[in-house]
Amino acid sequence: MKLNRRRFLAATAATLTMPATIDFASAEEKVIRFAMPQDFTRVYTFVTAEYSQGQRDYITLVNERGGINGYRIIADVSDHGNDLPRAIEAYEKAKREGAVLIDPLSTPVARALVPRALEDKINMVTAFSGRSDAADGTAFPYVLPLSPNYWTQAGLLVDYFRQQDKDLKGKKIVFVHIDTPFGREPLPILQVLSQKLGFEFQAFPYTPPGNDQSAIWPQVRRARPDWVMFWGAGVGQTVAMSEAVRNGLPMDRVCSSVWLSESDMDVIGREQVKGVLKVEPCVSGKDPKPVQAIINEVVSKGKGAGPENKVGTSYYNYGVMMGAIMIEGVKKAFERNPGGPITGLWLNEGLRSITNFTAEGMIPPMTVTKEDHQGGGGGRIARWDGTKFVPATDWFAANQDVVWAEIRKSSEEFRKSGK
Amino acid sequence: MLYRRAGLRHTRYEDERQLWPLPFDRGLVVLVLVVLVAAPLLVNRLYLVSYLLPWVIWSTAALGLNLLMGGAGQIHLGYGAVMAMGAYGSVHLVRAGVPFEFAMVGGGLISACVGIVFGGAALRVQGLYLAMATLAMQYVVDFVISHVPMISGGTQATIQVPTVRFLGIPVAGDLPTYYVALIICAIVTVFILNVGRTSLGRALAAVREKDYAAEIIGVNTFKFKLLAFWISSFIGGVAGSVLAVCYLRAISPDQFHIELSIQLVAMVIVGGLGSVLGSFFGAALILFAPIVLNNLIGGIADGLGLSISTDLRSHVPLMLYGALIIGFLLWEPLGLAKIYNNVRNYFFVWPFRHAQR
Repeated sequence: MKLNRRRFLAATAATLTMPATIDFASAEEKVIRFAMPQDFTRVYTFVTAEYSQGQRDYITLVNERGGINGYRIIADVSDHGNDLPRAIEAYEKAKREGAVLIDPLSTPVARALVPRALEDKINMVTAFSGRSDAADGTAFPYVLPLSPNYWTQAGLLVDYFRQQDKDLKGKKIVFVHIDTPFGREPLPILQVLSQKLGFEFQAFPYTPPGNDQSAIWPQVRRARPDWVMFWGAGVGQTVAMSEAVRNGLPMDRVCSSVWLSESDMDVIGREQVKGVLKVEPCVSGKDPKPVQAIINEVVSKGKGAGPENKVGTSYYNYGVMMGAIMIEGVKKAFERNPGGPITGLWLNEGLRSITNFTAEGMIPPMTVTKEDHQGGGGGRIARWDGTKFVPATDWFAANQDVVWAEIRKSSEEFRKSGK
Repeated sequence: MLYRRAGLRHTRYEDERQLWPLPFDRGLVVLVLVVLVAAPLLVNRLYLVSYLLPWVIWSTAALGLNLLMGGAGQIHLGYGAVMAMGAYGSVHLVRAGVPFEFAMVGGGLISACVGIVFGGAALRVQGLYLAMATLAMQYVVDFVISHVPMISGGTQATIQVPTVRFLGIPVAGDLPTYYVALIICAIVTVFILNVGRTSLGRALAAVREKDYAAEIIGVNTFKFKLLAFWISSFIGGVAGSVLAVCYLRAISPDQFHIELSIQLVAMVIVGGLGSVLGSFFGAALILFAPIVLNNLIGGIADGLGLSISTDLRSHVPLMLYGALIIGFLLWEPLGLAKIYNNVRNYFFVWPFRHAQR
């Protein structure tokens, strides 16, 4: 059959009208619906794929064990491509289907959905993304980062430098960052800390998306820094590391946020970047109990959501961690109101009463309250040893006073706006 | 059958000058308008807030760009930045206490003033070079917005849009936002339709076809090129302001990046350069094809119980979408509006296909 104009038009029209005529919805009793429209195609790509795989595997594990109180958890995964009309459509669809939680895993999308989530009372989880000031639960009751934000991560790193060098007075810390609001975010914290601890601080912005940073790194080398922090996402991270290697910076004094994974190391060469440090919000590798349980009860039965070799990678474990926290929220919600009804408010009460939760030793003890949506801001520093990330410290929290001053300042601005 | 005509013959100039000379077309326009106005009663809320509302707003923007690209033949790759200026300008004006009606016009004026400066490049360069000049505008505006905390709104770079009043009614909730967007869209549509039959429209068409030929027949190309940028940027600014207030409700710089500009250019080209109807068709296709295809593939996978990987499931819609765009450009380079026209022409004298038009 030759493809001509008329056939092309007919096929297109048929395809585009099909969803309107077929109703795919399936009615099911006793379910709790989580919406996970995430960016699988545009900016975050493999990050999302690994994160989502971990999240879904954990939820499968819970469902395989009989769900929570007889309720099955449905994780509705779709792609929003970091595009707002698509994300808003996915959000509204989730709302109609009765989702009580949405996890967009995208900073622009999360920021744009804030007014809607607050109005519709749907819990929006913004792990390692979205607004950092959402840690202030009094201003953002339905926006839950449930993870150390970027200010906290910067605070953790600076405290690690202090632990290593005993005193940071006169030391020089260089901050290489992508020149976007996300990349500039830690600047106020670093400035305050440099005043407080007496270190010299210098920032080097590179233009997004950061696939060429060759002009910046020689300047970084010439600055003779004691510590280098690089802050970016996606391609910018691997380029930053390879430029650091090329400029002969001591790799055991180079560090980044939570956004560094085995996949990044593969791009540069695992041996090349030995010593690089990062902030770790949860234990990586296959050892944590939840990951072991997933391997035994989900992956080995062929029910895994993705390739088996990704199980236990950093971002996979972030997904498991967030899945575990969400499920803990559901458990707490049942403890408080066993009869339901299953609504955003119901889950919100549960999520905001998580106390000393460690996900069987996978994460630092986490307590979420109505004021603190960050969950304490605990984490640890891990070092890449050429094959895996090895913890360099125990779980700790640091500089939370400075971080919270910034959170309150920013959330106060938010409260005043939008009226 | 539909048009009940044996050809197009007018006996009075007034008849020919009408926007829609044929009774059938007038009926169709009224019907579409009635459907759009009654949409909140007719369609599910989901379709109102996540399909109709963005469609109306993006169509308004596409109309503005189409005036410039299709009407005056000047390419613009920075229309997203134009909308950004309108959005930020009007939101800051609203926050400063200016009523929304004026803030919207103010946002439009800010866009128009900056737009005309970069449009000035069109006086010297054309085609690809103009594309580069407008692209530069996109990046300059992006840079300024995200580097001036006063504009972008502090470390989080997000500004919440306050609830505004339009003609005394608070623009909040599903209905008022939709109707405000619809009213603005209707005004812009009527304006653009009328541009085509005024001296302005004819002058722009002359500039589009060949600028020095236009100069020779007495069209002031200096004036009309700048005017085209002025009008189009003004509409873009107003559309940006409507986008911010009615749809986004929280604006951040990344919403107006190059992706938005490319999206709008695609809408205009796929819809049909210079066609009002095409702007609406193009906006619908570019906005909703990815969503519909995504839901379709997801639905098929769930419905049939296929376990396809998320990677495949999220990339197949993109591949289909790409194929769709290529297909339309290949088989109907004149755009979706031309397809409508073909159908209309067929039925025009149907069943007497050999009758004179």
